[in-house]
Amino acid sequence: MADSKSENIGRQSLLWLLLVNLSVLAPLYDKMTPWSMAICAICLLWRVGIFSGKVAKPPRYLVTTLAIASAVTLALVTAQIGLLNGFINLLILGYALKYIEMRDRRDVRAVVLVGFFLIAVTLIEKQSLWFTLQLTLVATINICVLVCLYLNASSIRRTAKLGAKLMLQSLPLAIVLFMVLPRLPPLWLVPNPKNATTGLSDELSFGDIGKLTRSSALAYRVTFDSSRPTNSQLYWRALVLDHYDGKTWTQDPGIKTLQRQRKATNARPSPEGEPIDYEVIAEPSYQNWLFGLDLAYTNTREILELPDGRLYAKAPLSQKYQYRVSSYPEARLDRQLTPDLRRRNLQLPSESNPRASALGQKLRTNYPDNERRLNAIMTLFNQAPFFYTLEPPRVGPQQIDDFLFENRAGFCAHYASAMVFLARQSGLPARMVTGYQGGEWNQAGGYLSVYQYMAHAWVEVWLEGKGWTRYDPTAMIAPERVEAGFDAMFSPEQSYLINNPFSSLRLRQYPLLNNLRMSLASIDYYWSKWVLGFDEDRQSQLLKELLGEINATKLAIFIIASFGVIALFIAYSVGLLHFSRHPDPVVAGFEQIGAMLTKRGLPRALGESMDAYQMRVLAAVPELSEPMTRYTTSYMTLKYRAPSPKACKQLKRQLKQDQRRLRLAILRLKGSLAISEGANE
Amino acid sequence: MTTRRGRLSAWWQAWIARRLPANKRVTLAHRSIFILPTGFGLFWLLFVVLLFLFGTNYQNNLVIGLSILLLSLFHTCIIYSYRNLAGMTLEAKTGPEVYAGETLLYGVSLHAKQVQHQVELSYEKTQVQTIARVADKAQEALIPLSNSRRGWIHPGRLRVESRYPLGLCRAWSHVDLANAQIAFARPKAGQYELSAEQQGDDHLAKDQGKQVVGVEEFQGLKPFVTGESLNQIAWKQLAQGRGMLTKTFEQPQSAPQWLTLDSHAPLEEQLSLLTWAADRLSAKGQIFGLKLPGKTLAPSSGEKHRHLVLATLAVYPEHLESPHGR
Repeated sequence: MADSKSENIGRQSLLWLLLVNLSVLAPLYDKMTPWSMAICAICLLWRVGIFSGKVAKPPRYLVTTLAIASAVTLALVTAQIGLLNGFINLLILGYALKYIEMRDRRDVRAVVLVGFFLIAVTLIEKQSLWFTLQLTLVATINICVLVCLYLNASSIRRTAKLGAKLMLQSLPLAIVLFMVLPRLPPLWLVPNPKNATTGLSDELSFGDIGKLTRSSALAYRVTFDSSRPTNSQLYWRALVLDHYDGKTWTQDPGIKTLQRQRKATNARPSPEGEPIDYEVIAEPSYQNWLFGLDLAYTNTREILELPDGRLYAKAPLSQKYQYRVSSYPEARLDRQLTPDLRRRNLQLPSESNPRASALGQKLRTNYPDNERRLNAIMTLFNQAPFFYTLEPPRVGPQQIDDFLFENRAGFCAHYASAMVFLARQSGLPARMVTGYQGGEWNQAGGYLSVYQYMAHAWVEVWLEGKGWTRYDPTAMIAPERVEAGFDAMFSPEQSYLINNPFSSLRLRQYPLLNNLRMSLASIDYYWSKWVLGFDEDRQSQLLKELLGEINATKLAIFIIASFGVIALFIAYSVGLLHFSRHPDPVVAGFEQIGAMLTKRGLPRALGESMDAYQMRVLAAVPELSEPMTRYTTSYMTLKYRAPSPKACKQLKRQLKQDQRRLRLAILRLKGSLAISEGANE
Repeated sequence: MTTRRGRLSAWWQAWIARRLPANKRVTLAHRSIFILPTGFGLFWLLFVVLLFLFGTNYQNNLVIGLSILLLSLFHTCIIYSYRNLAGMTLEAKTGPEVYAGETLLYGVSLHAKQVQHQVELSYEKTQVQTIARVADKAQEALIPLSNSRRGWIHPGRLRVESRYPLGLCRAWSHVDLANAQIAFARPKAGQYELSAEQQGDDHLAKDQGKQVVGVEEFQGLKPFVTGESLNQIAWKQLAQGRGMLTKTFEQPQSAPQWLTLDSHAPLEEQLSLLTWAADRLSAKGQIFGLKLPGKTLAPSSGEKHRHLVLATLAVYPEHLESPHGR
C-alpha cells in the first residue's frame, strides 16, 4: 500500500541481505546437492553484482525458468536423497531465487521468514551448544534485515545494535515460555533425515568390530539415580546375534519381524529384585537399537522391550534421544526355553570348522556337567597362548578353526564367536551379544560417557534353572579390559586415536587439559540433558520446583504474569517508564539534585538564578560547600561556555563525577541532619 | 448493509471524538495509541505456530525454542511500536492560503523527547508522508489534500502510524488537530459591475476607492530606506528594538467601492466573481467594502482586510467563525 517509494529496498538492506544469505546457507552446505549449491552461488554472485552496480536485475522469465527447472530436477532426485533432503533443497533454491528477484519490502519479508525456516531445518540435525550459538547469531542477522527496513538511513552499526537488542530483550520471555509451554507428542509422521548409520551393526563378521573399536565418537551418556555400578557390571546390551552361517553373525529373523512390526511380545518376565535406575542420552546413530544393562525395562511408549532382553526405539535415532531405564540385574531371561529357541541357539552351519567341532564334541564327553564344561571352555582361553589384539591376523574360510588353532590372536568378537561355537557344538544353547562395555566417568558432571571404541561382544549361554547367563571370554584373556575399561588396556594413540588426530580425547594424558576437556564435555552434557532433552517429565519436575504443585490455573497465571513483568522490564529499558526525565543527561542530573535538595527542604525558588540558589544552599548547609561548588562550576562551564567537543566530553565525565560526589554528600547529610533534628527536639 | 456500516462508523467517530478530543496540540500517550498486528505480523504468528508444530513433530527442542523466540520477539515489538509513538507531540500549523480547486496544505509540527523512527502521517484521502526521524527538535511536515469546495475544510483526523521496528505491529493514532483551513471561493475573472454606490463623480470608475501615497491616513510600517525623512521614522518601534522603520501614510483617492451580491445571478458564480474582484482591488490598493445579506464589512484596505473579505465570501452563507464545536 501507500506510495511505492517507501517500499523500495535501501542499499544498507541489500548489504544485510547479502550477509544473511551467506550465513543462512553456509551451515546447510552438507545438505545441498551439488547443483543447488551451484545455483545458490550464481544467485549470490548476481546479487553481489547488483549491489556493486555491475549487473541489472534478472528478468522475471529467467527466474521462473530456473525455478521450474530446479523443481523438476529436484522431483527426480528426491528418491535418492530422501524426502526431507529434497524438501530442504527445494527451500534452499526458493530462498536463493527469491533472493535475486527481490523487488520490494514484501519480498524481503518473505526472504526473512524462509530464512528462519532454514535455520529451523539446520537445527534438526545440528544441535550442539556451539552450533546453536552460531545459529542464534544468524537469526539475529535475519532480524537485522527487518530492522533495516524500518530504521533506514542509519549506520550498519546502529541497525546491528537494535537487532541484537531486540533479540536480547526477547530472550527472557522465550526462556520462561520454553520452560512452561506444554510439550506435545509428535502429531503426525514426518520424514526423517537420511544419513549413514553409525555405531553397532546388526551383522558381525570378524573384520567389523575391529574397525568400530577405533572410533572415539561418543555413543551415549548415562546418569545413574543412585550409585554407579562397577565397571565390570557395565555390560550394555544392544544386539543379540544368534544366527551363524560360518562367516557372519546375524539377528534371529523372528526378532527382526518383531522389530519391523514395532511389536513387543509379552514374553519378558516381570521384573524381580532391586532395580538400578538411570537415564541414557543416546547420540544420533540413525539406528533403532538402544542400550541397557541386563535386564532393562522402560516406561517410554516409543521404546519396545524385546523378548531377547533388548530395548528398541520405534523410530531411528536421528537426534539425541533421551530415555529412562530400570535395570534388574537379578532378573533372569527365559527360565524355560521354547523348543524353537533351543533349536535356533544350537544351530551351526553344517561341515564347517571341523577341528573346532571335534573339540566341542570332546568337551561334551569330558565334561558332562554343563557349568563345568563352560568353565573348561573359559579356562581354555586363559591357558592356551591366546593373545588379545586389535589388529588380528587374517582368517581363512574356516574362521573359528583358524582362530582357535592357528592365530590364537584376536579381539572380543573372535573370542565370543569361538565360545558360542564351542558351546553349541557341545550341546549348550548359546548366542552372541554385542553392545558396549564400561564407560568413562565424568566426576564433575556425575555421568558416564560411553564411546564407540568401548563396543564389545560377549556370550550368553542358556542354563537349566538359570536362564540366559553371561560369559565373557575376553575377560579371561584381558581381565583389565573388563574391570578397568578399554583405556586401561590400550594406549589411545595405538587404537581409537589412530584415525582421529584432532580428537579431544588426546588431551587425556595432560591432567590440566583433561580437566578442561571434562568441563567442556559437562557443558555439552547439561545442554543435552536440560535443553535438548527437556521433555514432559523434566518439565513437570522443574515446574514443581519452581511453583510447587502445578495446576492449569497456576500455570496460566504464571505465564500471564511473566508476560507482564518482562514487558515492564523491556518498557523500562527502552525508556518508557521515565518519561518525565529530561533527555539531556546534564539537565536531568541537575533536576535530580534539585529534587533531592527540595526533599531536604531547600527548593529552588521560581526564577532564582543558579548562583543565588547555590549561595542559599551553602548558607543553610555549609557541609555541602566543596562538592556543591565543584558541581556548579562544571555545570555552568558545560552549559553556558560551550567548550570544544573534545573538552566537552571530558567535562561531561568530570560533571558526572562531581554529581555523584554531591549526591553522596546530600545522602550522607540526610542521616546526620536527622540526628541533629532529633537532638533539637 | 451500508446503513449498518454507516452507523458503525458514526459510532466510531463519536467514540474517538470523546476519547481524543480535538486540540491544536496533542501529545500521544496510552489513551491515544492503538496497536494491532499488521498482515505480516499475523503471518509471523502463523509461522510461529508452524515452526512449533515442525519442532513438535521432530521432537526437537531447539526448533520449538526458535518458534518461542520469534513469539517473544513479537511481544517485544508491541512495546517498541508503542514507544515509537508515545510522547510524540503534534501541533497544528497554519498552511498557506488557497482557493477552492487548489491543493490544501496542512502543516503539522512534530517533536518527541525520545527519538522515534519512520512515522507516517496521512489523512483519509491523502498520500502518506513519512518522517524518517522525529526527535527533540521540532520539525514540520506539510500534508497536501486536494480539494474543490470553498469554506472551512476540515481534513478529518490525522492518522499517525508506525510499523517500527520489525513491521509486525502497527501502532497508530487518529488525532484531530482542530486545523480546519479556509479555502476561498474559486476566483473567476470577469467585468465586475460597479455597485449602486457609485457617486457620479467625474472620477473614472476604475479609480474609485483607489489610494495614493499621501499624508492623511496612517497606512503601515515599512523598513527604513536611507534618505527618507526623519519625520516619518517610527521612533517608538525603534525604542522597542524593532529596528528602523518608516511610517507610511496614504490617502484615499475617492469614495470606497462596495462589493455586493447580485441576487439574480447564480450564487457560486457571484461568489467567484466577488473573490476575483476583491483580489484585484486589493492588488491595486483600493479601498473596498463587502455587503452581503446579513453581513457587512466596512470599507478598508490591506492584506488583513482582503483576507477577511475572501474568508467571508468563502463561508457564505454561514458566518465566519471557527468551525469547531461540531
